Amino acid sequence: MVTEEIKDKNIARFGVLFSDFEQQLNGHKQEPAHAFRRKAAKRLETLRFPTRRDEDYKYTSLARILNQEYSFPIEAEISEAQLQSLRIKGIDAIELVFVNGLFDESQSTLSDLPAGLTITTIEEALKDDQLKPFVEKHLHENADESNPFVVLNTAFAEGGLFVHVAKNAIIDRPIHLMHYNTATDQPFLFHPLRLFEVATGGQLSVIDTFDGADSASYFANVVNIFHVHANAHAFHYKLQNESETAFQINNTTAYQEQDSTYTNLALDLGGRIVRNNLNTIHRGQNITSNLYGALNINGDQHVDNQTFIDHAIPHCQSNELYKAVLDGKSNGVFNGKVMVRRDAQKTNAYQQNAALVLSDKANMDSKPQLEIYADDVKCSHGATIGQLDQTSMFYLRSRGMSEKTAKETLQYAFLIEVLEQIDNEAVQEKAEALLYQKFSK
Amino acid sequence: MLSIKNLKAAVEDQVILNGINLDIKPGEVHAIMGPNGSGKSTLANVLAGREEYEVIEGSIDFLGEDLLEMEVDERAQAGIFLAFQYPVEIPGVNTATFLKQVINSVREARGEEELSAPEMLKLIREKAAMVDMDQSFLRRSLNEGFSGGEKKRNEMLQMALLEPKLAVLDETDSGLDIDALKIVSDAVNKMRSENRSFVIVTHYQRLLNYITPDYVHVLYKGRIVKSGDKNLALELEEKGYDWIKEEVEAASV
Repeated sequence: MVTEEIKDKNIARFGVLFSDFEQQLNGHKQEPAHAFRRKAAKRLETLRFPTRRDEDYKYTSLARILNQEYSFPIEAEISEAQLQSLRIKGIDAIELVFVNGLFDESQSTLSDLPAGLTITTIEEALKDDQLKPFVEKHLHENADESNPFVVLNTAFAEGGLFVHVAKNAIIDRPIHLMHYNTATDQPFLFHPLRLFEVATGGQLSVIDTFDGADSASYFANVVNIFHVHANAHAFHYKLQNESETAFQINNTTAYQEQDSTYTNLALDLGGRIVRNNLNTIHRGQNITSNLYGALNINGDQHVDNQTFIDHAIPHCQSNELYKAVLDGKSNGVFNGKVMVRRDAQKTNAYQQNAALVLSDKANMDSKPQLEIYADDVKCSHGATIGQLDQTSMFYLRSRGMSEKTAKETLQYAFLIEVLEQIDNEAVQEKAEALLYQKFSK
Repeated sequence: MLSIKNLKAAVEDQVILNGINLDIKPGEVHAIMGPNGSGKSTLANVLAGREEYEVIEGSIDFLGEDLLEMEVDERAQAGIFLAFQYPVEIPGVNTATFLKQVINSVREARGEEELSAPEMLKLIREKAAMVDMDQSFLRRSLNEGFSGGEKKRNEMLQMALLEPKLAVLDETDSGLDIDALKIVSDAVNKMRSENRSFVIVTHYQRLLNYITPDYVHVLYKGRIVKSGDKNLALELEEKGYDWIKEEVEAASV
């Protein structure tokens, strides 16, 4: 048998890394989870990483991420103060703490979970006959993806999270995934994998925090799969305030059944290069998908939001609102695809993207893409790129506000429209506090 | 209090103010009148420090300080208040939060202690009642969706809260019905004191039926061409601006 030559040198590198990874797994190689890793590693060999010649990566170069050498996650301890800085006042969250990508059970609060909520690892779920079918199905799909980052994640994920909400269980305590990353001698790479299954009539909120030391250098390759069953509701808020030497590629797919709601909101303040790939797949009528994003970046930061909403079924709604404030030499990208297929009559699809560009060297690339094949639909989209309004600046300053405060006030006023979509006051306040913290940097 | 000497100012390289001289003493109310395009609003904006207006000559002394050297916010902190002709709508900025912020920043600059939350609430309520403004506006975004009258009321509220030494009202009366006009004039009359001066820029004499000025100046082609007492305003109301224009043109021949 002749092994096919791997053309993408980075794919080949990850192949070598996979062999090292397998070695350190020892006995765990016999576990059911590892079969999926192997399948994904094989699949990865057939793929290549996208370049700027690929339409969807035209504005985002991955070279800086892929050319760096990474170690496996490096164990570290974090202080109570560091942990406290991630917490959200006023909510009784179920906290799962990850330091440099590694689960820290001692700092997490997994006891006394609400009735109807199961939180376990993917490895354990695969040993449970009831949970197994769902996990297997998604791992098979992930391992077979065309997106190389999802496949890469499947190949390397260890201790991935499986969350199950039972039928009609309304989970009023949010799950708070708290990622804290420390400064290490060498950049590291980790692959958080999270599967959420919200059964019929269930409800779940997930807060996804990424934060850490100012000089922490790493690549977080995240995969989230939500399966929101009939009449179920899932809220997913990402509060990303990482170091400006961190990379993040966040791949989220929501499968939605009839009458369900999935809300995703990403606040991106940190990171050197951040790419959010967000897809929703509609599999029933009367589905609502809410996709929101706010970013406030400066320096050399680059944040790219890619969304895809596939309206294949009638009577569904989608709302998209993405706003960016860009200063320094930062780059923002928004690429919002909305497909309304021929049968998807009575679709309501709303998309809005706006950017405030504060410096000559900052840049925003906005690309709304609507493809509409049904005739009885309501669809709208708009993209605006502007600067701070000088008359508003003068008005605020004429009341005694300093130039700095007036500028911050207008940035806040611009982004608050997005943050107001957070359906939890305490989480919204935390998001606002992080935004103000960013202003003082 | 305020001394303007030979002030010349331009907007986008076009000279609008062409040598203004004006002295205002504490407690005085000066009305600045004049036909459209005479430079009235430019004068108001130059006093507040708007950056698009470039001062090319002259000086402004405010309480012994060189006003032209002060930034917009420093002028506000020093006691200058501009009531806008067109107050700006700023969605996303809550009115109450904004008021609290500016009150405390001005207090801090003046070396006064910040107000506690209950003191602040009491003060805002009291002044809102004074300008007859419904509390519900405080919960809304700044001026967003406010009617013309509501916006002007909000300007008067801000003036009452910031307690300026010199308040400049830039055509605050334009477009107001008589009820709204009374609210503006009531606020000014209640705030008149021996330490506070007003510059009232207006196109119409009507406002001066409710606020009696100590002096009336007529601005034309960027200069004060006539000054007098309140009777000058009545004369202008009766005869219009043409006779002033003719006088000026005749003098320049």
